[in-house]
Amino acid sequence: MRVPTLSSASNRPITSACNDPDSLRRLAARIRLNATRMIAIQGFGYLGQAFSSAEIFAVLFGGGFMDFQRDRFVLSPGHYVIALYAVAAELGLLDPAELATYGADGSALEAIGTERTPIVDLVCGSLGQGLSGAIGFALGSHLAAETRDTWAFLSDGEMEEGQVWEAAMFASHHRDRMGRLIVVIDANGSQVDGPVTSVTTLEPLAEKWRSFGWRAVDIDGHDVELLAAAFRDRGLDDAPYVIIARTETSGRLRCIPSSIDGHFMKIDQALERALIAELQGSLA
Amino acid sequence: MKPYGHALLALARQRKEVVCIGGDLTRQTETDLFRDEIPERFFNAGMAEANMIGIASGLARAGYIPFVNTFGVFCTRRCFDQIAMSVSYPGLNVKIVGFMPGLSSPGGPSHQAIEDVALMRALPNMTVIEPADAIETRQIVNAIADHPGPVYLRLKRGEIPLIFGDDHRFEIGRAQLLGPREDGEVLIVAAGMMIPAALAAARTLGENGVSAFVVNSPTIKPLDVETISSMAARSRIVIAAENHTIIGGLGSAVAEVMAEAAMSKPLRRVGIADRFAESGSREYLFHRYGLGTQDIIQAAWNGLGIGKPMPVAPVLEAAAGAYAPV
Repeated sequence: MRVPTLSSASNRPITSACNDPDSLRRLAARIRLNATRMIAIQGFGYLGQAFSSAEIFAVLFGGGFMDFQRDRFVLSPGHYVIALYAVAAELGLLDPAELATYGADGSALEAIGTERTPIVDLVCGSLGQGLSGAIGFALGSHLAAETRDTWAFLSDGEMEEGQVWEAAMFASHHRDRMGRLIVVIDANGSQVDGPVTSVTTLEPLAEKWRSFGWRAVDIDGHDVELLAAAFRDRGLDDAPYVIIARTETSGRLRCIPSSIDGHFMKIDQALERALIAELQGSLA
Repeated sequence: MKPYGHALLALARQRKEVVCIGGDLTRQTETDLFRDEIPERFFNAGMAEANMIGIASGLARAGYIPFVNTFGVFCTRRCFDQIAMSVSYPGLNVKIVGFMPGLSSPGGPSHQAIEDVALMRALPNMTVIEPADAIETRQIVNAIADHPGPVYLRLKRGEIPLIFGDDHRFEIGRAQLLGPREDGEVLIVAAGMMIPAALAAARTLGENGVSAFVVNSPTIKPLDVETISSMAARSRIVIAAENHTIIGGLGSAVAEVMAEAAMSKPLRRVGIADRFAESGSREYLFHRYGLGTQDIIQAAWNGLGIGKPMPVAPVLEAAAGAYAPV
């Protein structure tokens, strides 16, 4: 990853490994808290994505699975960058004071990732393109005989783009060079027009990936111990590896009303206060 | 003959960072030469152009120089968003090579890249190049490898003429006077497959008392504004000739230069007149869709308002391995 120099990024040290489940759960709660505060400034944004992916980002970035200097990280759905900012601020990869500029005019922390986005090796705003780029990274590492992992974060909605399956087929065919490619899918079942199931049928997701020649696991994406076990299982064989993490845009927070638009959440001050209270309560 | 395939292979022997990516058209894009000698740096993406562009972008970010090869229709129309977002916006060192320009394909509208230049020219950071012969093609392969950033290279497949001598020097962003004179009533600006027709038209016009001269503009973006505007200033009418729709390609680029320089002289665009074509031989299609030597002569003759009967271009024979202008 493109890890910034610490002095300019933060006065906090990079704390990559906090392996106990409780620390990771607390990191996930702090991701949600950061994201809530970032969204609250304008009252709307991609909060549901931060809520659904908080444990994924907490375990992947905070659990010591990624070597920030060596490994590459691809964020395919660029609007998830809010979760990246939120976790990066907790780990000393980003100045926490910068979070307040999220989505503001002129800010480097744009609401949908761009070439200016810090830390990531590749972020895509137009969906369905990240896996292909990650395969390019993995091929490059293989050609250069480098031992580094390529992590690609995808969302389930973008599985509707045919390019994802072109890429899945390619990676499987070139499996002898893809053993260090790991895909993590935030399967939160949400897209712009509503639940994915109201738009089309992506299921059975795990069987689809397996039929394309991938090793696939299908787990509860809010369970930090299951996520850690799945990440630990990378590189077991030479097949490309996909982790389907089942999540909810509510992040299973009690105060999120069931009627809320999970893709683009609007929160008023009452909901903001309730979210912060609930999240701080979980950290107490 | 395969001038591109040999040049790419020679380049890859020298530079280990050159990789070759194809879309199930390996022999057709002359990259069987690369595949057979350097298989470890050759990747066949199959018929999956969107993924092919994305993989190229990842390899470029990792420090490689990917040459992506397929037909021009497939590597522009099919994956425009991928090129825009994964290659052009980040300004990555990816060379997109599209074969069978314009009506050089007998395969009908599905295989005829008639607006590929317009699409690629509109993308920020993108360089667009179309060579006219084998010598220029070889030089371009090396030049674009040395040029950091995305390039769209538009290449003729199969018969390639030899127009230039060994003293020809291609340089990105430079157009050059091809003669037969240094000024005249008619300036013809052309590139690629239209160069033989432009030269033939200039000759016929000259033999009939209308002096004409030709500028070769292999770099369509960035256009050589200085050369084209100074040459245009030495003429009474400018003809832009392209094997492409007249919207958004070389003719449009020349029009922009002339308009911004406030040149008060006519421009005529010879090209495909905003329509899709059909299947057919190159000769038939170039005749039918107005890409012939006679079409250039007619544009000049009518544009200058010459009253006497228009001369007729002689039918030319193709040299071995080349093609004759229609």
